[in-house]
Amino acid sequence: MSKTKILIIDDEMEFAVTLAERLVLREFETKAVGGGEEAMTLLQKNWKPDVVLLDLKMPGLDGLAALDLIKKHDPAIEVIILTGHGSTASGIAGMQHGLFDYLMKPIDIGELIVKIKEAAKKAGGTISERSKNK
Amino acid sequence: MKRFLPRWSDVMFFCGKSGHNLCVRERYYCLRRSLVVIMLLITIVPVCITATLSYFQYRQLLQEETFSNSSWSAATAGQAIEAFLEKLQAAILVISDVYSFDQLSHQETLDQVFTKLKRRHKGLVDLSVISPAGIQTAYTGPYNLSGKDYTDSPWYNKTLAKNIYVSDVFMGFRNVPHFVVAVSKKVEKGQGSWVLRASIDADTLDRFLASIDSEISDDIFLVNSDWQLQSSSRYHGEIGNQVLPRDTPRKKGITLSEQYRKETPILRAVGYISGTPWILVLEQQSYALRKNWQAFKNKLLIIFTVCILVAGVIVIRTATLLARKIRETDEAREAFLGQSEHTSKLASIGRLAAGVAHEINNPLAIINEKAGLMKDILGFSPDFQYREKFNDQLDSLLKAVQRSRTITHRLLGFARRMDVTLGPVQINEVITEVLGFLDKEALYREIKIELALQDDLPALHSDPGQLQQIFLNIINNAIDAVDDGGLIQIASQLLTDEMVEVSIKDNGPGMTPEIRKKIFEPFFTTKIGDDNKGTGLGLAITYGLIKKLGGQVAVDSVVGQGTTFLINFPIQAINRENVSDEQDENTDY
Repeated sequence: MSKTKILIIDDEMEFAVTLAERLVLREFETKAVGGGEEAMTLLQKNWKPDVVLLDLKMPGLDGLAALDLIKKHDPAIEVIILTGHGSTASGIAGMQHGLFDYLMKPIDIGELIVKIKEAAKKAGGTISERSKNK
Repeated sequence: MKRFLPRWSDVMFFCGKSGHNLCVRERYYCLRRSLVVIMLLITIVPVCITATLSYFQYRQLLQEETFSNSSWSAATAGQAIEAFLEKLQAAILVISDVYSFDQLSHQETLDQVFTKLKRRHKGLVDLSVISPAGIQTAYTGPYNLSGKDYTDSPWYNKTLAKNIYVSDVFMGFRNVPHFVVAVSKKVEKGQGSWVLRASIDADTLDRFLASIDSEISDDIFLVNSDWQLQSSSRYHGEIGNQVLPRDTPRKKGITLSEQYRKETPILRAVGYISGTPWILVLEQQSYALRKNWQAFKNKLLIIFTVCILVAGVIVIRTATLLARKIRETDEAREAFLGQSEHTSKLASIGRLAAGVAHEINNPLAIINEKAGLMKDILGFSPDFQYREKFNDQLDSLLKAVQRSRTITHRLLGFARRMDVTLGPVQINEVITEVLGFLDKEALYREIKIELALQDDLPALHSDPGQLQQIFLNIINNAIDAVDDGGLIQIASQLLTDEMVEVSIKDNGPGMTPEIRKKIFEPFFTTKIGDDNKGTGLGLAITYGLIKKLGGQVAVDSVVGQGTTFLINFPIQAINRENVSDEQDENTDY
């Protein structure tokens, strides 16, 4: 069984890299990038994550814009916003654009993994249906 | 409050001291007094004007009426006397024409003529014939005056000069007041004139004058050109007395004047009686002394006084009511502003708190992940000497992160405007659920929780989640406040048809009034030093939530006895979304 692929997008690279490392220790395949543009470049290179952990406030392409682009690129990718800068409005906007969940920093790793697994399960189902349709 | 008080300059005029020196109570007292003075002026001035106009108008009317009546009465009396004398003069003239001196000098003839004449002219006393020598040759009447010489009598000489003459009233030989009507005629074929004289008792004039309406005049009499009485007078005495003050009437008609008779104001009507030497005088009480004028003045005074009293009572009551309403309105506005200021303060602090929490969250997340990674690595590493201690330090680090996380999340919770979802809520069930969270701590500390929840409370149309948070915060505070083994009493009751009240009472240490005033302010806490407690946001959030649901909260606390929170909720919740509109745009969670 292949590992769940997770893309962490956060301008706080210390956070992103450390979290990625912890998730790798828990048998996830992870990549950490510092912004939305970098993430889109990675996706264009055919690296397809199952779940994206996305920060909201980032220089350049912000979280909601990145969410939009990711969903346009591949609607099957489930996105979880993980931020210290959330707001009701951005949460609602995110949900309207197909956001899976909205979590707040700092978060317990166990709690995060539960959410990632739920998102991955949903993403896997979507991918399977897509494969069947093909 | 001061901003709504009447400006001192507005009220100073009626207060007698500088408005700057007035306290709140004095200012409203001055406002009330100013209102009373202004409203009394507005009310009383028209009443005074109306009363004054009525007074002068009626006085003028009475004066004119009095003048008119006096003038008419005097003219009527004068005309009656004139008519009487003209008739007598005509009769005497006719007799003197028809009869000769000799014929009338015959006693029988004179007696016959007198008898007929007296029958037609009441008051006639006697009739006599005076020869050209001035000696009375014939006389018929009650007195014995035959042979009397009248050559020196003024009336005799004036009769000779004027042919026909009406004399003043005089005593004469008979020593009784009378006047004469005399006619002189030339002696046929001879020198000189003989005189036919009729004497009339002065009482006759009194009878004429007495016939004038006594209501219109209170004295009427005749005077001669020297203002000596020719008839009796009620106030001026007997015939012959001098009447003062004198008047000078016009040649024709009646002359009116206002005089004083022994300091009593009177109205006097004066007019000549043509064909006589007399002046008719009618004196009447001034309108000022008449009954209808006095009655009018009394009525006017009573009406004026009643109007002033009624106006005074109404004005004072209205001014008091107005001042009270103004004060209540000011207080309500002040309270509203105070609440707005409190809300604004909460919003500002909320924004600040949210900003701080966000900025802290990111480094906190890094610490969390770094410490977590270290713990992960430690888990995969072989055992070493300080493993346990190292692990404990990481646990402490992660625990500190969790504490910080709790604080930042509470800060965000304070700033957050939670969407209100209204629905039917059984408030007793909410309280019971909240107690379910807190049971363990209460049990552990042997805190007794007594419930007195009214069974038949109606369901509130409110937000269960927010109600839960409200009760959680307040009951949690009560648990923190009481000592081990303390008592918390929770009661609910239907306060009115539209309001439910919940009271949460503890027997903790209580609060001083200074602390009680500040407990709803953000970051105010008395739990300094307690572990993971005392962010100072709990009651501030609670206050905001209660207000948002349209409720009210009051705190009663006595040092050493405990604290009671009284919270009222409307059965139909008012969703005050605008309470924290400003917060919403920047509020994070």
